[in-house]
Amino acid sequence: MDPVEVRALSKSFTTKEGPILRKKRKSLVAADGISFSVPKGQIYGLLGPNGAGKTTTIKMLCTLITPTSGDAFINGYSIVEEPQKVRENLGVMLTGERTLYWKLTGRENLEYFAALYHLQHSDTKKRIDYLLQLLGLSDRKDTVVENYSTGMRIRLSFAKALLNEAPVLLFDEPTASLDPQSSRLIRDIIRDLKKDGYAIILTTHNMDEADVLSDRVAIIDHGRIVRYGSPSELKEKVKRNDVIEIEGHNLSDQTADALQSFSEISKVAVSAIDSNDNVGLLRIHAEKGKEVLPKLLEFLVRKQVSITKVSFIEPTLEDVFIAETGRSLRD
Amino acid sequence: MRTVSGISGTLSVLTAIFWKGIKHYIRYPGSLLIYLMLPFLFTLLIFGMGRFIGGANAAVNFATRTGTTNVVVYEMLGGAVWMTSWVVVEDVGVALRDEQMKGTLEQNFLAPVNRFTLLVGISLTDIAITTAIFLIVVGATLAFTMPGAYLAFFQAFLMLLIGLIPLFGMGFLFSGFVIKFKEPYIFTQMVNLIFGTLTGTYYPVTILPYWVQFLSGILPQTYVISNMRQIILANQSLVSLYGSIFILLALALVYPTIGYTVFKKLERDAGVTGELSKY
Repeated sequence: MDPVEVRALSKSFTTKEGPILRKKRKSLVAADGISFSVPKGQIYGLLGPNGAGKTTTIKMLCTLITPTSGDAFINGYSIVEEPQKVRENLGVMLTGERTLYWKLTGRENLEYFAALYHLQHSDTKKRIDYLLQLLGLSDRKDTVVENYSTGMRIRLSFAKALLNEAPVLLFDEPTASLDPQSSRLIRDIIRDLKKDGYAIILTTHNMDEADVLSDRVAIIDHGRIVRYGSPSELKEKVKRNDVIEIEGHNLSDQTADALQSFSEISKVAVSAIDSNDNVGLLRIHAEKGKEVLPKLLEFLVRKQVSITKVSFIEPTLEDVFIAETGRSLRD
Repeated sequence: MRTVSGISGTLSVLTAIFWKGIKHYIRYPGSLLIYLMLPFLFTLLIFGMGRFIGGANAAVNFATRTGTTNVVVYEMLGGAVWMTSWVVVEDVGVALRDEQMKGTLEQNFLAPVNRFTLLVGISLTDIAITTAIFLIVVGATLAFTMPGAYLAFFQAFLMLLIGLIPLFGMGFLFSGFVIKFKEPYIFTQMVNLIFGTLTGTYYPVTILPYWVQFLSGILPQTYVISNMRQIILANQSLVSLYGSIFILLALALVYPTIGYTVFKKLERDAGVTGELSKY
């Protein structure tokens, strides 16, 4: 059995909607039959837009949410039947900097969580010193976390996930809000952890990060895995088409929908770059991109779109998502 | 990594939670200062109102109804116990919701620790805090008004310790409710005022209507306050108060049991509904 085995994991929530006294119950499916496995020494990337079901899946795996059906096994332990054992075998970093005690120092935070993971006192100090050194926080270890920068808090949160040397690691957006230098540091550490044989699950919005780090990637949309495979396998499938990226003002969903009527275009997705300035980005998958481009630009100009940049790009995982769902990951 | 298991593992978790709480109190001492000042301020308030309403007969009326002329000690004992229950409601009751709002609750729940242990750990900090409040507030009051009443002070302290068990049981109960229904501060303010009104904090519960006295009878603070006054102001011994101590011990079984059961149920439900992640 692989360190992570996820079998038909589903979760639906009941919400109440409508005016007071006339609220109606509504069932919302957040995860629908998610299955995958992660062998030792591999990184499994979960990709998807906000609300796709990534975080619900992660929270089920770390026993914070009880699945409606299905099960998952972390190092052989069932998340439904043996949640305590699952927690012993998991190192988790959830998104955000609000995962620490801001009134404790960096070192005190790690000491506190080390006790919660039952780490032996004699080993704790050495482990904490090592992690603080690794994450470049040694100099500030005795400063209260409220005086840390966002990047430092995220690095400390990352260190916390590594405290108990669990065989399975789960990182939810580990480099969100980090500067490029800190992001590189975290990515290098994740690569080293992989080499050391840890099974790692990674969720990220950063396509490049998922691409360079993950051995396999699952694309999640509306609670289901719509495509999975290695990044190169996934991208290979969209390489038949050219990918054209057009940046401009006044790009709208209606414009994107209208472009779908071009027979040469297979998929179009629009996303906002700067909603205040009404700057958007069109990503177009077309069979013969160079041939269709003049027609395309003429159409956009007629639609009052002011084009600022046009480029042909190599397909990325974002394009895999667009090809599967017709939407951008940034939607 | 080598780990510790069994009782020593649980003890190291409880110690860590205890010190985390103490560090928060020491680094940010505002709430502790308020807890120490409020019994004195409330006593002054009650004293002033009594003088205003009772006029020249205020002291006589007070003695007739309470059996003592020592207004300050009478009111301070009520105030000190009220502050104790205030700490329990504010800290234990709101602790998990507070952690939820800060974003640290999930981090604690990710650890391989029985989730109820987290509440017990928080309670340990509060036992230290409530003990400190009692010793400082009542100790200072007795030192000025009844010097030498060491034995009575010690027995009153024992009374407090017995009363803390059902009180923390109530805290566990509130903790589950607060996670479920959110809005912790409206809840705690309401509960604190109800406790202050029903438990004889500043007047004997016998002046309340009978049906209200029934409610007072199921609250442990009522017995703790009454017994402390009996010990310090009426020279009763702890042993002579065995009847109400027995009731307190019964409540010490009932409240923690109900608190634990409700907490576990709401915690399970929160896992199903995803409440834990909601700020």
